[in-house]
Amino acid sequence: MRNDISERRAETGESQADLAAAVGVTRQTINAIERERYDPSLELAFDLAAHFDCRIEDLFDPTAEDR
Amino acid sequence: MSEHTTPATTRPSDRKRYKRIAYGLLGAGIAALWIGIAVDRFVLGVLLYWAGGLGMGLVQRFSPVDLYDERDTTIERKASLTTMNVFAYLFILGAPGGLALQESGTVELPGEFYGAMWTLFAVSVVFGASLLYYKYRT
Repeated sequence: MRNDISERRAETGESQADLAAAVGVTRQTINAIERERYDPSLELAFDLAAHFDCRIEDLFDPTAEDR
Repeated sequence: MSEHTTPATTRPSDRKRYKRIAYGLLGAGIAALWIGIAVDRFVLGVLLYWAGGLGMGLVQRFSPVDLYDERDTTIERKASLTTMNVFAYLFILGAPGGLALQESGTVELPGEFYGAMWTLFAVSVVFGASLLYYKYRT
């Protein structure tokens, strides 16, 4: 699913590993989400949105076509 | 819905450490089995192998961090489904196909064929029972 996690991560200066640790998943999972190869669970989507202090729909765009 | 919480203790280094311990225990068990076979202490080797496997299971079950995250679980689920599909096709096509070839006198099926088919049948039964169990519970 299209998302702007990598852009938000760049803004905050976090690495994939930092974000992964913050939301309790592996770095590979964050990498897969950013590359739109894996759609996170609702729970993880909430965690990511809470981490970036935004709404889930601000982070993910289900209407955009996958790469 | 369960309470929404983020596991604060799941650090990558912790996850790696406990994974290393878990796989290390299994690896040590396998090594002990091979050494046991080599030095003709087969029973001791099997006991150590079981201990290694049990230790791995205990670490996975009781470690303070989740060793696998949701993507790992999804990957495992997909791989399991693919495996079951392969087994199902082997069983559904292989069993009657093999018996037909045997009946027509084309081939003489070895005992291993029947063993394999019974194994596939048993796997299918366990899978079906597991599916029903989770369907009932979910």
